[in-house]
Amino acid sequence: MSDFDSELDASGLNCPLPILRAKKAIAGLEDGQTLKIIATDPGSVKDFEAFCKQTGNTLLSSGEEGGKFVFMIKKS
Amino acid sequence: MSTRLPGPERRQSILKESQRLFAEKGFHGVSIDEIARAVSVSPAILYRHFDSKQALYDAVLQELSSQRESYVDAVVNSDANFEEVLIGMTEVFIRSIGENPNLLRIEMQSLLDGNPATSEFFENRWKSFADYINFSLNERLAYDLADREITILSASLMFQGMVREALLQKYLQPQDRLVDISLTELSRELVTLFLRAIGIYESRLAQKESNQIKSKYPVS
Repeated sequence: MSDFDSELDASGLNCPLPILRAKKAIAGLEDGQTLKIIATDPGSVKDFEAFCKQTGNTLLSSGEEGGKFVFMIKKS
Repeated sequence: MSTRLPGPERRQSILKESQRLFAEKGFHGVSIDEIARAVSVSPAILYRHFDSKQALYDAVLQELSSQRESYVDAVVNSDANFEEVLIGMTEVFIRSIGENPNLLRIEMQSLLDGNPATSEFFENRWKSFADYINFSLNERLAYDLADREITILSASLMFQGMVREALLQKYLQPQDRLVDISLTELSRELVTLFLRAIGIYESRLAQKESNQIKSKYPVS
Protein backbone atom coordinates (compact mmCIF):
# COMPACT_ATOMS: atom_id res chain seq x y z
CA MET A 1 0.00 0.00 0.00
CA SER A 2 1.34 3.42 -0.90
CA ASP A 3 1.49 6.14 1.70
CA PHE A 4 -0.31 8.67 -0.45
CA ASP A 5 -3.67 8.83 -2.22
CA SER A 6 -2.82 11.00 -5.19
CA GLU A 7 0.30 12.20 -6.95
CA LEU A 8 1.11 15.42 -8.76
CA ASP A 9 4.20 15.89 -10.90
CA ALA A 10 4.96 19.60 -11.26
CA SER A 11 8.52 19.09 -12.55
CA GLY A 12 9.82 21.89 -14.73
CA LEU A 13 7.14 24.33 -13.63
CA ASN A 14 7.79 27.59 -11.82
CA CYS A 15 5.75 29.03 -8.97
CA PRO A 16 2.81 29.58 -8.81
CA LEU A 17 1.85 26.67 -11.05
CA PRO A 18 2.87 23.86 -8.66
CA ILE A 19 0.88 25.59 -5.90
CA LEU A 20 -2.09 26.17 -8.15
CA ARG A 21 -2.17 22.58 -9.32
CA ALA A 22 -1.71 21.31 -5.77
CA LYS A 23 -4.63 23.47 -4.66
CA LYS A 24 -6.83 21.90 -7.35
CA ALA A 25 -5.64 18.38 -6.55
CA ILE A 26 -6.30 18.84 -2.83
CA ALA A 27 -9.79 20.11 -3.57
CA GLY A 28 -10.50 16.67 -5.09
CA LEU A 29 -9.35 14.76 -1.98
CA GLU A 30 -11.25 13.72 1.12
CA ASP A 31 -10.17 15.06 4.52
CA GLY A 32 -7.25 13.02 5.83
CA GLN A 33 -6.08 11.91 2.38
CA THR A 34 -2.53 12.67 1.27
CA LEU A 35 -1.16 14.25 -1.89
CA LYS A 36 2.40 13.64 -3.03
CA ILE A 37 3.90 16.48 -5.05
CA ILE A 38 7.11 16.41 -7.08
CA ALA A 39 8.65 19.74 -8.12
CA THR A 40 11.94 21.06 -9.46
CA ASP A 41 11.63 24.77 -8.65
CA PRO A 42 13.86 25.44 -5.60
CA GLY A 43 11.40 28.17 -4.56
CA SER A 44 8.77 25.49 -4.05
CA VAL A 45 10.21 24.54 -0.64
CA LYS A 46 9.30 27.88 0.92
CA ASP A 47 6.16 28.10 -1.19
CA PHE A 48 4.64 24.85 0.03
CA GLU A 49 5.42 25.75 3.65
CA ALA A 50 3.59 29.04 3.16
CA PHE A 51 0.79 27.32 1.29
CA CYS A 52 0.13 24.82 4.08
CA LYS A 53 0.33 27.50 6.74
CA GLN A 54 -2.24 29.59 4.92
CA THR A 55 -4.62 26.82 3.92
CA GLY A 56 -4.48 24.79 7.14
CA ASN A 57 -3.41 21.59 5.37
CA THR A 58 -0.61 19.59 6.98
CA LEU A 59 2.81 19.43 5.41
CA LEU A 60 3.77 15.89 6.46
CA SER A 61 7.20 16.02 4.85
CA SER A 62 9.35 18.08 2.58
CA GLY A 63 12.56 16.69 1.14
CA GLU A 64 14.85 16.23 -1.79
CA GLU A 65 15.10 13.04 -3.86
CA GLY A 66 17.42 12.73 -6.83
CA GLY A 67 17.55 16.46 -7.50
CA LYS A 68 13.79 16.88 -7.18
CA PHE A 69 11.72 18.21 -4.32
CA VAL A 70 9.08 15.96 -2.84
CA PHE A 71 6.26 17.12 -0.59
CA MET A 72 3.56 15.17 1.23
CA ILE A 73 0.50 17.17 2.12
CA LYS A 74 -2.41 15.83 4.15
CA LYS A 75 -5.74 17.49 3.54
CA SER A 76 -7.11 18.73 6.84
CA MET B 1 42.20 53.32 5.95
CA SER B 2 38.98 51.61 6.89
CA THR B 3 36.92 51.15 9.96
CA ARG B 4 37.19 47.57 11.13
CA LEU B 5 34.04 45.55 10.65
CA PRO B 6 33.40 41.96 11.71
CA GLY B 7 33.59 39.46 8.81
CA PRO B 8 29.89 38.93 8.08
CA GLU B 9 29.15 42.66 8.20
CA ARG B 10 32.07 43.38 5.94
CA ARG B 11 30.85 40.75 3.51
CA GLN B 12 27.37 42.25 3.59
CA SER B 13 28.65 45.75 2.89
CA ILE B 14 30.74 44.48 -0.03
CA LEU B 15 27.67 42.75 -1.47
CA LYS B 16 25.56 45.85 -1.08
CA GLU B 17 27.99 48.16 -2.84
CA SER B 18 28.71 45.58 -5.53
CA GLN B 19 25.03 45.21 -6.28
CA ARG B 20 24.75 48.97 -6.76
CA LEU B 21 27.86 49.19 -8.96
CA PHE B 22 27.00 46.16 -11.11
CA ALA B 23 23.51 47.60 -11.54
CA GLU B 24 24.88 50.96 -12.67
CA LYS B 25 27.74 49.79 -14.86
CA GLY B 26 27.32 46.13 -15.70
CA PHE B 27 29.74 43.30 -14.99
CA HIS B 28 32.46 44.54 -17.34
CA GLY B 29 32.11 48.19 -16.33
CA VAL B 30 33.19 47.63 -12.71
CA SER B 31 36.64 46.69 -11.44
CA ILE B 32 37.54 45.04 -8.15
CA ASP B 33 39.54 48.18 -7.28
CA GLU B 34 36.44 50.33 -7.71
CA ILE B 35 34.36 48.08 -5.47
CA ALA B 36 37.14 48.03 -2.89
CA ARG B 37 37.25 51.85 -2.92
CA ALA B 38 33.46 52.04 -2.55
CA VAL B 39 33.58 49.94 0.64
CA SER B 40 36.82 51.59 1.83
CA VAL B 41 38.87 48.41 1.99
CA SER B 42 41.95 47.25 0.15
CA PRO B 43 41.49 44.86 -2.79
CA ALA B 44 43.37 42.28 -0.66
CA ILE B 45 40.64 42.34 1.96
CA LEU B 46 38.01 42.09 -0.71
CA TYR B 47 39.71 39.01 -2.15
CA ARG B 48 39.66 37.50 1.31
CA HIS B 49 35.84 37.36 1.02
CA PHE B 50 35.46 36.66 -2.70
CA ASP B 51 37.96 34.83 -4.94
CA SER B 52 37.22 36.80 -8.08
CA LYS B 53 34.95 39.39 -9.61
CA GLN B 54 32.88 36.54 -11.05
CA ALA B 55 32.52 34.97 -7.58
CA LEU B 56 31.40 38.32 -6.21
CA TYR B 57 28.93 38.76 -9.04
CA ASP B 58 27.55 35.26 -8.46
CA ALA B 59 27.14 36.06 -4.77
CA VAL B 60 25.20 39.22 -5.67
CA LEU B 61 22.87 37.12 -7.85
CA GLN B 62 22.60 34.49 -5.15
CA GLU B 63 21.47 37.12 -2.70
CA LEU B 64 18.92 38.51 -5.15
CA SER B 65 17.59 35.04 -5.83
CA SER B 66 17.04 34.40 -2.13
CA GLN B 67 14.71 37.41 -2.17
CA ARG B 68 12.63 35.90 -4.92
CA GLU B 69 9.00 36.91 -4.91
CA SER B 70 6.42 34.39 -3.73
CA TYR B 71 3.15 34.06 -5.59
CA VAL B 72 1.53 31.86 -2.97
CA ASP B 73 -0.71 34.67 -1.72
CA ALA B 74 -1.90 35.41 -5.24
CA VAL B 75 -3.08 31.81 -5.54
CA VAL B 76 -4.35 31.13 -2.04
CA ASN B 77 -6.23 34.38 -1.53
CA SER B 78 -8.26 34.15 -4.69
CA ASP B 79 -10.54 31.49 -6.11
CA ALA B 80 -7.67 30.89 -8.49
CA ASN B 81 -9.32 32.23 -11.61
CA PHE B 82 -6.92 33.19 -14.37
CA GLU B 83 -7.26 36.95 -14.28
CA GLU B 84 -7.19 37.36 -10.52
CA VAL B 85 -4.08 35.26 -10.16
CA LEU B 86 -2.38 37.07 -13.04
CA ILE B 87 -3.14 40.46 -11.50
CA GLY B 88 -1.91 39.25 -8.12
CA MET B 89 1.32 37.93 -9.63
CA THR B 90 1.90 41.11 -11.60
CA GLU B 91 1.46 43.20 -8.49
CA VAL B 92 3.90 41.07 -6.51
CA PHE B 93 6.48 41.19 -9.31
CA ILE B 94 6.18 44.92 -9.86
CA ARG B 95 6.33 45.60 -6.13
CA SER B 96 9.54 43.61 -5.75
CA ILE B 97 11.21 45.59 -8.56
CA GLY B 98 9.88 48.79 -6.99
CA GLU B 99 11.55 47.84 -3.72
CA ASN B 100 14.83 47.15 -5.47
CA PRO B 101 15.14 48.64 -8.98
CA ASN B 102 18.72 47.28 -9.09
CA LEU B 103 17.11 43.98 -10.08
CA LEU B 104 15.86 45.55 -13.28
CA ARG B 105 19.14 47.34 -13.95
CA ILE B 106 21.20 44.17 -13.48
CA GLU B 107 18.79 42.33 -15.78
CA MET B 108 19.23 44.95 -18.51
CA GLN B 109 23.00 45.01 -18.05
CA SER B 110 23.20 41.23 -18.20
CA LEU B 111 21.27 41.10 -21.46
CA LEU B 112 23.97 43.30 -23.00
CA ASP B 113 26.83 41.55 -21.22
CA GLY B 114 25.62 38.21 -22.50
CA ASN B 115 26.47 36.51 -19.21
CA PRO B 116 24.76 33.08 -19.43
CA ALA B 117 24.38 32.59 -15.68
CA THR B 118 22.69 35.95 -15.28
CA SER B 119 20.46 35.50 -18.29
CA GLU B 120 19.31 32.19 -16.89
CA PHE B 121 18.63 33.78 -13.51
CA PHE B 122 16.37 36.45 -15.00
CA GLU B 123 14.79 34.12 -17.53
CA ASN B 124 13.78 31.98 -14.59
CA ARG B 125 12.02 34.92 -12.93
CA TRP B 126 9.97 35.59 -16.07
CA LYS B 127 9.31 31.88 -16.47
CA SER B 128 6.73 32.06 -13.69
CA PHE B 129 4.58 34.21 -15.98
CA ALA B 130 5.36 32.23 -19.12
CA ASP B 131 4.47 28.93 -17.40
CA TYR B 132 1.32 30.32 -15.89
CA ILE B 133 0.05 31.91 -19.10
CA ASN B 134 1.02 28.86 -21.13
CA PHE B 135 -0.72 26.42 -18.82
CA SER B 136 -3.86 28.51 -18.38
CA LEU B 137 -4.30 29.30 -22.06
CA ASN B 138 -3.80 25.67 -22.92
CA GLU B 139 -6.80 24.94 -20.71
CA ARG B 140 -8.92 27.78 -22.00
CA LEU B 141 -8.23 28.27 -25.68
CA ALA B 142 -10.23 26.31 -28.23
CA TYR B 143 -8.37 23.22 -29.37
CA ASP B 144 -9.11 23.74 -33.04
CA LEU B 145 -7.39 27.12 -33.03
CA ALA B 146 -4.96 27.39 -35.93
CA ASP B 147 -1.33 28.04 -34.87
CA ARG B 148 -2.28 27.30 -31.31
CA GLU B 149 1.27 27.00 -30.03
CA ILE B 150 2.41 30.22 -31.67
CA THR B 151 -0.60 32.03 -30.24
CA ILE B 152 0.21 30.90 -26.73
CA LEU B 153 3.90 31.69 -27.09
CA SER B 154 3.11 35.13 -28.49
CA ALA B 155 0.67 35.81 -25.69
CA SER B 156 3.28 35.22 -23.01
CA LEU B 157 5.79 37.28 -24.96
CA MET B 158 3.27 40.09 -25.20
CA PHE B 159 2.65 39.97 -21.49
CA GLN B 160 6.34 40.02 -20.63
CA GLY B 161 6.91 42.91 -23.04
CA MET B 162 4.13 44.97 -21.50
CA VAL B 163 5.23 44.49 -17.94
CA ARG B 164 8.91 44.97 -18.67
CA GLU B 165 8.25 48.19 -20.59
CA ALA B 166 6.10 49.54 -17.76
CA LEU B 167 8.93 48.83 -15.33
CA LEU B 168 11.52 50.43 -17.61
CA GLN B 169 9.39 53.54 -17.95
CA LYS B 170 8.81 53.73 -14.23
CA TYR B 171 12.30 53.03 -12.99
CA LEU B 172 14.87 53.73 -15.65
CA GLN B 173 13.55 56.77 -17.49
CA PRO B 174 14.68 60.09 -16.04
CA GLN B 175 11.47 61.71 -17.27
CA ASP B 176 8.67 59.51 -16.11
CA ARG B 177 5.68 60.26 -18.31
CA LEU B 178 3.62 57.83 -16.27
CA VAL B 179 4.33 59.74 -13.10
CA ASP B 180 0.63 60.19 -12.25
CA ILE B 181 -0.21 56.51 -12.55
CA SER B 182 0.67 54.17 -9.72
CA LEU B 183 2.25 50.88 -10.64
CA THR B 184 -0.74 49.05 -9.20
CA GLU B 185 -3.14 50.95 -11.44
CA LEU B 186 -0.85 50.43 -14.37
CA SER B 187 -0.53 46.70 -13.80
CA ARG B 188 -4.29 46.24 -13.48
CA GLU B 189 -4.88 48.21 -16.64
CA LEU B 190 -2.27 46.26 -18.56
CA VAL B 191 -3.62 42.91 -17.41
CA THR B 192 -7.14 43.98 -18.44
CA LEU B 193 -5.95 45.01 -21.89
CA PHE B 194 -4.01 41.77 -22.17
CA LEU B 195 -7.07 39.68 -21.34
CA ARG B 196 -9.14 41.51 -23.93
CA ALA B 197 -6.43 41.08 -26.52
CA ILE B 198 -6.27 37.32 -26.02
CA GLY B 199 -10.05 37.12 -26.15
CA ILE B 200 -11.00 36.46 -22.56
CA TYR B 201 -14.07 38.67 -22.54
CA GLU B 202 -16.13 36.97 -19.91
CA SER B 203 -13.74 37.79 -17.13
CA ARG B 204 -15.14 39.08 -13.90
CA LEU B 205 -13.02 42.13 -14.38
CA ALA B 206 -14.68 42.92 -17.66
CA GLN B 207 -18.09 42.29 -16.12
CA LYS B 208 -17.36 44.50 -13.18
CA GLU B 209 -16.19 47.20 -15.51
CA SER B 210 -19.23 46.93 -17.70
CA ASN B 211 -21.49 47.13 -14.64
CA GLN B 212 -19.69 50.27 -13.54
CA ILE B 213 -20.20 51.81 -16.95
CA LYS B 214 -23.87 50.86 -16.89
CA SER B 215 -24.41 52.46 -13.51
CA LYS B 216 -22.52 55.55 -14.59
CA TYR B 217 -24.36 55.92 -17.86
CA PRO B 218 -27.77 54.28 -17.27
CA VAL B 219 -29.82 53.59 -20.35
CA SER B 220 -32.96 55.68 -19.96
